[in-house]
Amino acid sequence: MIHIERNPWREMVNHAQAAYPNECCGAMIGSIDGDTKTVLHALALDNVSTGSQRARYELRPEDLLRADREARDKKLDLIGIYHSHPDCGAYFSETDLKNSCPWYSFVVLSIQQGRFDHANSWLPDAEQTHAEKEELTWPES
Amino acid sequence: MARILIPTPLRQFAEKHDSVEAEGATVGEVLAAVTTRFPDLKKQLYNDEGKLRSFVNVYLNDEDIRYIKKDATPVAPTDVLSIVPSIAGGLCGARASALPPGFRPASSTLVPNV
Repeated sequence: MIHIERNPWREMVNHAQAAYPNECCGAMIGSIDGDTKTVLHALALDNVSTGSQRARYELRPEDLLRADREARDKKLDLIGIYHSHPDCGAYFSETDLKNSCPWYSFVVLSIQQGRFDHANSWLPDAEQTHAEKEELTWPES
Repeated sequence: MARILIPTPLRQFAEKHDSVEAEGATVGEVLAAVTTRFPDLKKQLYNDEGKLRSFVNVYLNDEDIRYIKKDATPVAPTDVLSIVPSIAGGLCGARASALPPGFRPASSTLVPNV
């Protein structure tokens, strides 16, 4: 399961709402204890998709490299990626799946009419053919 | 020996090391040395055809090796290699945008492409 602490959760929701009607994206940094991941920091990253950012996001690998270094500096781990789905559910779309990586949790925030509605976390497989839903909690959940 | 930083989720395939050192004059040689030492790590990085998986990027210090000499990129003993995924995604265009607000599939159901 993955739990997001209050401050990073607030930052993620604020980021997603501010980016609306576009998609936002970022990295989640925290700790891992057995099967439980705890997000302690959210790192907003640029959506560099050259397509319509209302329906696409793309991370610069260099930004992920920076996020991983920041995590290491804090003696923490890069444990996931988040992005938003404006006016759509927090499912893992085929586009998400075909451009995913099986190493991380993928938290999707559904933003409806500019306001947070719900969120889910997903664990894609290495073949990019399937994603399992992961238990997700945050302070208000 | 060059140092390779191991991403957190892959440390379970590298005896829990957060970095490892390996011999090699090129990126390809260093990666071969590491994946020979940790065969399970190889499955994470390479597909069945022996090619790096589509989402795997390798950085030599701050540079993507695709823009240098790929596997043939020379490596110095003080260099650091990083494994960085490519990640993108988003809604599926018209079909996804037309979904009703609050749409939530019960499981990992995919929204089909139009």
